[in-house]
Amino acid sequence: MNESIEAIQTEALAQITAARDERALEDARVAVLGKKGSLTRVSAGIKDVPQEDKAAVGQLLNAARTAITAALEAKQLALRDLADRAALAGIDVTLPARDLPCGALHPLTLIRDESIGILRRMGFALAEGPEIEDEFHCFDALNTPADHPARNEKDTFYFDSGKLLRTHTSSVQIRTMESQAPPVRIIAPGSAYRRDEIDATHLSAFNQLEGLYVDADVSLPDLKGTLEYFLHELFGTNTAVRFRPHFFPFTEPSFEIDVQLQLKGQPPRWIEVAGCGMVDPAVFDAINRSRKDHAYDPEKVTGFAFGMGLDRLAMIRWGIKDIRLLIENDVRFLRQFA
Amino acid sequence: MNISLNWLATHLDLGGKSVKEIDDLLTFAGVEVEGVKTKGITSEKIVVARIMEAVPHPNAERLQVTQVDAGEGGLRQIVCGARNYQVGDKVPCALPGAELAGGFVIGEAVMRKVESRGMLCSATELGLPPDVDGLLILPQDAVIGQPVREMFDSDVMLELEVTPNRPDLLSHRGMARELAALLKTPLRAMDVPSVSSSCAAPSVIALDAPAACPLYTAVRISGVTIMDSPAWLKQRLESIGLRPINNIVDVTNFVLHELGQPLHAFDAAKLSGGIVVRHAKEGESFLALDESAHSLIADDLVIADASGAALALAGVMGGLHSGVTPATTDILLESAYFTPQGIRRTSRRTALSSDSSYRFERGVDPSGVLTASALAVKLILATAGGTVRETTQVAGTAPVLTRPVALDAHKLDRLMGGSISLAAAEEILTRLGLTKRADGMWDVPSCREDLQRHIDLVEEVARVHGLANVPSRFRGSFVPASPIDGAYDADMVLRRRLAALGLYECQTIKLIADTQLGDALPLRPLLEGDVIRVKLPLSEDHAVMRPSLVPGLVASAARNIRHQAKSLRFFEMGRVFRHAGGGKARDQESETLAVLLSGCAAPAGWNQQDRAADLHDLKGLIAALVPGKSVRFSPRDRAGFALGCDVKADDQNLGVFARLLPARERELDFTAPVFVAELDLTKLRKLLAGTGHVADLPQFPGSSRDAAMDLPASLPNAEIENVLDKCAEPLLIAYECFDVFTDPTGQKLPADRKSVAYRFHYRAADRTLKAEEVDAAHQKVLAALQQKLGVKFR
Repeated sequence: MNESIEAIQTEALAQITAARDERALEDARVAVLGKKGSLTRVSAGIKDVPQEDKAAVGQLLNAARTAITAALEAKQLALRDLADRAALAGIDVTLPARDLPCGALHPLTLIRDESIGILRRMGFALAEGPEIEDEFHCFDALNTPADHPARNEKDTFYFDSGKLLRTHTSSVQIRTMESQAPPVRIIAPGSAYRRDEIDATHLSAFNQLEGLYVDADVSLPDLKGTLEYFLHELFGTNTAVRFRPHFFPFTEPSFEIDVQLQLKGQPPRWIEVAGCGMVDPAVFDAINRSRKDHAYDPEKVTGFAFGMGLDRLAMIRWGIKDIRLLIENDVRFLRQFA
Repeated sequence: MNISLNWLATHLDLGGKSVKEIDDLLTFAGVEVEGVKTKGITSEKIVVARIMEAVPHPNAERLQVTQVDAGEGGLRQIVCGARNYQVGDKVPCALPGAELAGGFVIGEAVMRKVESRGMLCSATELGLPPDVDGLLILPQDAVIGQPVREMFDSDVMLELEVTPNRPDLLSHRGMARELAALLKTPLRAMDVPSVSSSCAAPSVIALDAPAACPLYTAVRISGVTIMDSPAWLKQRLESIGLRPINNIVDVTNFVLHELGQPLHAFDAAKLSGGIVVRHAKEGESFLALDESAHSLIADDLVIADASGAALALAGVMGGLHSGVTPATTDILLESAYFTPQGIRRTSRRTALSSDSSYRFERGVDPSGVLTASALAVKLILATAGGTVRETTQVAGTAPVLTRPVALDAHKLDRLMGGSISLAAAEEILTRLGLTKRADGMWDVPSCREDLQRHIDLVEEVARVHGLANVPSRFRGSFVPASPIDGAYDADMVLRRRLAALGLYECQTIKLIADTQLGDALPLRPLLEGDVIRVKLPLSEDHAVMRPSLVPGLVASAARNIRHQAKSLRFFEMGRVFRHAGGGKARDQESETLAVLLSGCAAPAGWNQQDRAADLHDLKGLIAALVPGKSVRFSPRDRAGFALGCDVKADDQNLGVFARLLPARERELDFTAPVFVAELDLTKLRKLLAGTGHVADLPQFPGSSRDAAMDLPASLPNAEIENVLDKCAEPLLIAYECFDVFTDPTGQKLPADRKSVAYRFHYRAADRTLKAEEVDAAHQKVLAALQQKLGVKFR
C-alpha cells in the first residue's frame, strides 16, 4: 500500500509538471483527486489497513495529497501567468483611438452662460419677455419719441397687427417692472432684431444681455461698481474699463463702456462692449401709469440699466472676424468649442 | 459730422492741445471720435533747424553725424542718412516726442554706437507731397526753432458722431462752445453785423403753417456775381470734405457748418411774388435739386411763391429750378426755423436727406436764425458783390424752447455718490452757459433745448465730472431666484447632456424663408393662417418667424453636407413663433428643442465599421435626455415627412419625430437619411425636475426567462409592449427585446414572419422566488401574449 501511494504521488506530480494548459492540469487533478481518482481509490482502501498501520498510512496519504495539491496550485499559477503574458503580448497601444462622437456648445451659449454666471453670483435673477412686442413696451415706455428713427419700418420689423420684433431686450425692463415692485435686480438674455442687411458685422437678429437694478438709493457708484466687476470677471482683473458719456432715450445720464483689449497681432485698443445708464425718470412715470400705482415713484427709487451684445462679446473673446460664423453652424467652426 | 481743427481754432485757443488730447476731451464729453484725418504736419515738435556740421559716421559708410541748431541754445547731435544737403541748410528736425505722418513717435537713439537725439526729415516723412530724394530743404528765411507746421498747409479733420440730443454741437461754433467750457477758455467773439429787420407783410412772406414753421426770414441781395469762391472759403469747405460749388452756395454751406443754421438761396428771378410757406397739396409733385421726383403729401412743408409753385421742400432740399445758377444776379436768402418732427417725417418718407434736414430734424437754435442770415449776407457781399436794398423780412417769431430748470442738490449728491460738491456742480453748469437765477433755478441757453428737467442738469454734471471721478460701490439687494432661473438651469443641463452625447449646438436665424416652411415640424401641425409673417422682410430668405426649429437645422445640415461633413449631429434650443387655431390665438411664443441626426453615427476606423445613424439612434438620444423614463414613438402621419411619430415619455406627449421625405433629402444632397425631432422644452424641463426619494435596493435576487416569438412581420413591437404593460403580472419587473430576426428569402422563416426574442425579468420584493413561482408567472405572461397577439413561441 505504501508503495502504491508513493507511485501514485510520483506519477501525479509528473502529470502535473507535463500539463501544458489548465485543461490538462484539470485532467491530472481528476485522475488523482477526482471521485474515481487514483489517490481517492487508495484512500478508500484504508479501511482494510490493520489498525496498527492506519496512522502511518493515513499520514502517508495526507502527505501525498498535500504535495499533489500544492503542485496543482503552483502549476495553475504558473499556467495563468503564462496565459496572462500571452494575452498582453503583442498589443499595439500606438494604434489610433476609436472615434467617439464629440459635440460642443455653441460659442454664444458659452459666453452667455459665463456672463449670466457672473451676474447671478452678484445677485441678479433671470427675466424674460416676448420677442414679438408692442410699441408700448419697446418704445413708448422707454421714453422713445414717437418719431424716433428706430420706429421706422425701414429699421424695425413690423407685423400687420402693428406689433414688432423687439429692437432691444430693454423691453424686458418694462415687462418686469410692470409685474414686480422694487427692488428689481434682473438680467435678461435674449434676441433682438433690427432691419440690417446681414454682412460680416451685422445680423438682422442678434443676441443681447440686458440688466436692470431698481431700488431706493441706487446710484452711479453702484452702476460703475457692478459693471466694472462684471467686466473684470469676464475679461480679467487687470482689464482697463472706461465709461464714455453717451445718449439713450431711456437712461440719463447714459454711458458707453469700453474695455482695453489686445487682440492677437494688434496693439491694445479700446473696444466698446456695453451701454448703460441711470433709468430715466420718464421710464418710471410710464411704468407707474401702466401699473396704476406709484411703486416706482422717481422721488423714492432710482435704478440703473445696462445692455450688451453677446454676439459681439463672443467675437471679441474668440477673435471671430465674421459674425455670420455664429449662425452658419459649420461643424469645422463649432468643433473648436468642444 | 466733420470738424476741422484749423477752423475750430478760429473760435477758441486750443492751447497747443494735441489731436490725441482733443480726441480724449471730446470722447469723455460724449462725442465719439470715429476718425482722424491728418493733412500736412501736425506735431509742434517738428521745428526748423540749421545744419551746423556734418562728419562721416565712424562705424557706418552711408551715415553722417550732424550737429544742428534747433533754436535750443546748444547744438543737437543727429545721425542722418541723407546726402542732399549742405552745411548751413535749414531742414525740418523732429525732436524726441514728435509724431510723424505714419504715427511713428521719435525718440532718442544710439545708432551704431553714436548718439542720435532726433531725426532730420524728408517731405514724405512729414506727410507732405514727395519732394526731392532726401531731406526737405527749407527756405533760408525760415526761423530756427519755429514749428515747421506753420510753414505748410496743415490741418486735422475729426469725424465725429454727435448724439441726437446734442444738435447744438453740429457746427464749429457749437463744438467750440463745448470745448471752451471743457477747457475753461474763452470763446473768441465773432464779427457778425447787427441785423436791421422788419416785420414782413403777408404779401412778402405768408406763413400758412405756423406750427411747422414758426419763424421765416428772407433777405434780397441784388446784383451778385456768381463765381468761384475765394481761396480761404474753398479751403474751409474742403477741410471738412465738402466740394466748393460757387460763392453763394459755398457761403450758405460755410454758415451752416460755422453756426449750425441751414440757409437756402433762391434765384430771385425765378420767384414770382412773395414767399408762401405752406403744407403741400396731396399728390403735389416736386422735382428736387438732386433731380429726384417726389409726390408730396399734406404733411410735407414747401416753400412756394405767389404763383403757387413749390420752390423747395422746406428744410430738406431745394427745387431743381429755383436755385442759384451762373446766370443768377439777384438772390433771396432764406433763414428759418422749421419744427423738427415735420422735417424728420418728410425726410424719411421721401428718402431725401441733406446737411440741412439733418440739423432741422434734430433742432436748430431758433435764436440763431437772424445771426446766421446776417453772417451770410456779410460774406455774400464780400465774395459776390451786390447790394442789400431792403431790410431782412421776418415772419413769425422765434419759439422759446427752453425754460428754467431746478438742480436738486440732495438728489445730485445721492446719484453722484457724494463725489462732487454742489459748488463744483454749479461751476460746471455755469461753464456750460447756464445761469443761476435769484430764485435758485437755472436759465438754459437757447441752443440747449435738451436741458428740460432736473435729471438733464445732473447728466451735464456727470458727463463733465466724468465717471472716472465717481467711486465704485459693490453692493446690492438680495433677490429671490425666478422661474426663469430654473428653466435656464434645466436648459443648460439638457445642452450639456446633448453635447456629451456628441451633438453640436446650433444657433439659427429666427426669420426663415417661406420655402423652408415645408421643413417645419411644429409640435402641432400648422393650420392656414398660423404662420407669422413680417410686413417688410429684408429678403425672401427672412420673411416668416420660424414656427419650428427644424428648418434651421435642416439648412445648417445641408450647408455642412456641401462642405463634405459626414456626421451630422445637431441640436438647437430656442423660441418658435406661431398663431394657433388658424390664426385665432395670436403671436404665441414657445420654446422647443430640436435634434437632427444624419450620416455617420460611428465612423469607420481600423477596428470598426462605418454605421449610418438610424431612427433608433435618435430615439436612444431622446431617452438619454430623460433617464428613467420610457421613451416611445407612436406613429402619426405628418404631412411632408416620412415616418412621422409622436414622441412619448412615460405616456406623456413630448414632441414629434420624423424623417425627411427621401425626395427632400435628395433635393438637399443628403446621402443618408435625415432624422429630426422637435420636443416641447417646457415638458422636458419638468421631466428633468430630478429625483425625489431614492428607492430601496432589491433585497432578493430575481430570475429571468427568455422567449422567442413567431409573429407576422408587420406587427409593430409596440403591440407586444402594450400587452406586457397591461398584463398585470406583479412579479414581472422588466423586459427587453434582444433579437429581431427576419429572412426576406423565406428559407429560415417565411418572408412575412419575424422572430422576436424577449427576456423577461421576475423578482419579488420580499423573498427569493422559487423556480416554480417564476415559471408560473412566465407562463401567465406568455399566455397573455398568445391570447392577445396569437404569438407562436419557438
